[in-house]
Amino acid sequence: MKSRLGRTGFNALVAIIILYSLFPFYWVFKSSLESSFALNRQTSSIWPTQWTFVHYEAIFAVENFLRPLLNSMFVAGMATLLSVVLGSMAAYGLSRMPIKGKVPILGFILLVSFFPQIAMVGPLFLVFRHLHWLNTYQSLIIPYLILSLPITTWILTAFFSQIPADIEEAAMVDGATITQTITRVFAPIAMPGIFTAAILGFLLSWNDFLFALSFIQTPNMDTVPLALVNFRNAYYVHYGQIYAGVVIASLPIALIVLFLQKRIESGLTAGSVKG
Amino acid sequence: MAAKTQLAPALGTGSPQPKRRRSYMAARSRVGYLLVLPAVAALAAIAIYPLVYNLVLSTRFDVLTEPGTGHFTGLANYKQMVTDPNFWGDLGRTGIFMVVSVTLEFVAGLILALIVHRQFKARGLVRASILIPWAIPTAVSALLWKMFFDIRSGFVDFALKALHLPGSQLVWFNSPTLAWVPIILSDMWKNTPFIALLLLAGLQTIPQEIYESARIDGANSWQAFWAITLPLLRPAIMVALIFRTLSAMLVFDTIFVMTGGGPGQSTEVVAYYDWYKYMVSLNFGFGAAVAVAITVLALILAAIYVRLLRQRGGFMA
Amino acid sequence: MNMPRQVRRRTVAVMSSTALLLTLAGCGSSATGASGPHNVTIVFATQGLGTEAQATQAAVNAFEKLHPHIHVQIETLSASSNDAYQTLITDLTSGSGTPDVITADVIWPATFAAAKWIMPLNQFHPNTSTFYQGMVKSGEYHGKLYAMPWFINVEGLYYRTDLVKTPPKTFAQLTADARAAMKKNPKLIGLAFEGNKYEGAVTVFQDISGGFGGSFLNAQGKPVLNSPQNIKALTWLDNAIKTGLSPTAVTGWEEGNVQQAFLSGDAVFATNWPYLYPLAEASGSAVKNEVAFVPTPIDGGQPTASLGGDDLVINKNTKYPKQAWELVKYLTSAKTMTARALISGDPPARTDAYTPSLLAKAPWFKQEEVVYADATPRPVTPLYPQISAQIQEALSATYSGQETPTQALNQAQKAVEAIVSGHGS
Repeated sequence: MKSRLGRTGFNALVAIIILYSLFPFYWVFKSSLESSFALNRQTSSIWPTQWTFVHYEAIFAVENFLRPLLNSMFVAGMATLLSVVLGSMAAYGLSRMPIKGKVPILGFILLVSFFPQIAMVGPLFLVFRHLHWLNTYQSLIIPYLILSLPITTWILTAFFSQIPADIEEAAMVDGATITQTITRVFAPIAMPGIFTAAILGFLLSWNDFLFALSFIQTPNMDTVPLALVNFRNAYYVHYGQIYAGVVIASLPIALIVLFLQKRIESGLTAGSVKG
Repeated sequence: MAAKTQLAPALGTGSPQPKRRRSYMAARSRVGYLLVLPAVAALAAIAIYPLVYNLVLSTRFDVLTEPGTGHFTGLANYKQMVTDPNFWGDLGRTGIFMVVSVTLEFVAGLILALIVHRQFKARGLVRASILIPWAIPTAVSALLWKMFFDIRSGFVDFALKALHLPGSQLVWFNSPTLAWVPIILSDMWKNTPFIALLLLAGLQTIPQEIYESARIDGANSWQAFWAITLPLLRPAIMVALIFRTLSAMLVFDTIFVMTGGGPGQSTEVVAYYDWYKYMVSLNFGFGAAVAVAITVLALILAAIYVRLLRQRGGFMA
Repeated sequence: MNMPRQVRRRTVAVMSSTALLLTLAGCGSSATGASGPHNVTIVFATQGLGTEAQATQAAVNAFEKLHPHIHVQIETLSASSNDAYQTLITDLTSGSGTPDVITADVIWPATFAAAKWIMPLNQFHPNTSTFYQGMVKSGEYHGKLYAMPWFINVEGLYYRTDLVKTPPKTFAQLTADARAAMKKNPKLIGLAFEGNKYEGAVTVFQDISGGFGGSFLNAQGKPVLNSPQNIKALTWLDNAIKTGLSPTAVTGWEEGNVQQAFLSGDAVFATNWPYLYPLAEASGSAVKNEVAFVPTPIDGGQPTASLGGDDLVINKNTKYPKQAWELVKYLTSAKTMTARALISGDPPARTDAYTPSLLAKAPWFKQEEVVYADATPRPVTPLYPQISAQIQEALSATYSGQETPTQALNQAQKAVEAIVSGHGS
């Protein structure tokens, strides 16, 4: 690629990639500032034609968008917490303890992440209905374990296996109890791995639409994707509000991704998980 | 490091008492099973139980709007499913979507991985910029791309017109073929980064020396790509392809949000078909039969995946 | 006399439970039915945001003042009709006693009644003589009344009085009028209508189909989707797109898009609901004082205005049927309906609610009343959601050029026949 042509082509390719990835976000931001009137007209400029914050006001004052934000954070957060606790335990057992059947167990956990979400919707709906759990937080937190627990366990098993066992054994020999060994010696070393697993588990739960669509029924329980799809009244889809909502909901996620990019990448490839 | 030197004698003193050591190992293994149990039990309860439930439900007539009429019907639901041309039509469309979207995403992902693997100024920016779309929920990505293709406020029409390209003022979602364009673009936007990252990890495991010796042997970079990169990348490629193929087979959010299966039935896929039977017709028996069929297809893909991983001699990528 | 402690306590218990029984009996037999000393809470599940929510709250407050022992808890359902429907299905299939009173889209009561989830209201001797009869019919199932009409909604035809002098009597006339206006101003849209793949496309099609003399089900309840009249109607709509009377974009349009096109002065004709009228007459509208609302034209059929609107129904498992009925009766009284119309613009479902003072404040109701007279309900059957889905698919397949109107409707007919006979879903 020494030729100038090669370099120009390469740079053009890089530019296209960045444009395809990021231009949509610019357009969302730009459109969120336009009036509803302008959004219903033919687009006239690539730049914002006005700076109005009515849509931002509307999504909080009229649509109460804070609620779905908190709902999503809570259900994804709880599912992540559960996944990290259960996943760390399992990973510790799998990587540290002399147990038989490690491969089948890991295989089973992987297999579960292949189970089609759509096939679980019906049975879970009937079970939750029977328990009067439809439209509750647990009706999302529990199924979200399917999304986050397998990847969490995989990442953590891979990560824990890389931590040399000598460190803990040495601590034990020095007279530390098992609990002390885990909390004082093992946990600090394992923290980055746990953190990586938690981010990915959280993002996978945050991504869900199908479970929320099927088990959530009133607006006050909507998660973020559901609320955005439902930004409408009986007659009208509020484009401006959707754009503003996407800006608000994507900012924290974009920041997470930018600051924790390395971790996410290593987590994704360590577990070979689905996106 | 002092601890480490103490370790050997410590283990050494353990060996003269094999009995105690064995019981210690047994205890550790028991603790190990106890640690693994909650996760496995939770997954079994949330995933296996519905699977079994579906098997039972699929042999029953169970329509929610007709309470009290549930009864065993044997294979009637399956019979109705395989004789429904819509089921096969949706399955066929799902297959086409799988092939097209995964192929495009794979080629784009490979190019992306090769680019990011090189050293250049904007490398960090590219890596970060492709990861952000991946973190956007699929349904939101679909909603956005639907609006981007809107004749009025979307940028697609604006760009086509500004660049004097054909397709301006086109109503994409009213065409049985063109309606797939926004669907695939949205899917690519969200999923190509995932493939790229897996392939990038694969690329980074290929030792640089192999390329150098190839160059000494007179291979150009194109030949090196075919002779070295692709074969050595094969495991990573397989992992990426199977994961993506499976999630493409189950595509739902994008279709539900963007087209609702329209125009007509031309973008309807099998997951949408199943969801409709469950949640609109409220025909849980029939929905379960379709779910069983989808599960079987998914598990076949999963079996292929596990076999490929085995061939690589382990689970870790 | 000294009674052993235990006996005394039991006596007290018996006495108090007798008192309770008496209270309950008194509560049931009292004339108001609700104002016993026993406090009850009724859950009222309803849709509506903004001014509609305000109107509901105002009515409920007034009701609670009138009946101090009935507390009404409002449960707001999703604005999306499908989600609201699913919520109700879930609540009702679980056999729960709440919500006690439910706002039901006019297409739901048949499903709910067939599944025995809601109670017939005949026992309360409702008087529906002043209600719009099309709406009353949508609440009847197997000869019994299950739903009280709350507010009416009909899809009619808006036109620009400055561009079209007299309302078109036939479809040919409509086309000619639109063409004439488009000739003078080529930027105009002849007919703006809802063509997206959703329920709104079905109501437009019902309007046109009725004008040509078609219907979805015949008098015996058998599907007749591929009748010559229906094929004519779909051909007319399809041609509107193919000949440029309507832009291709209408294939993705819902009410909001039609509203936008009409209010900005871009459309000669538009199909839409009464909610648009006050917006057209509001200050800042580009078509103020240039709007009229009429039934769709006819060509061998009846003037037809697809009926929307909301009914009130009562959960069969409610613990407080009498109190629930009190609430329904109050909400469907002429006075409450008039008040609601003033706050939210929802058109009352009974003629006697259109008081002179209401008509003075909202003069468009005068025109709208004419259209209400032609209100035609969609098929009253528990299978309506599935039937509608088939019609939506047929319309969408036609508009996108995948099938001719005849092919599309033949296929829909076949599918709906299977659904009705229980061999499809």
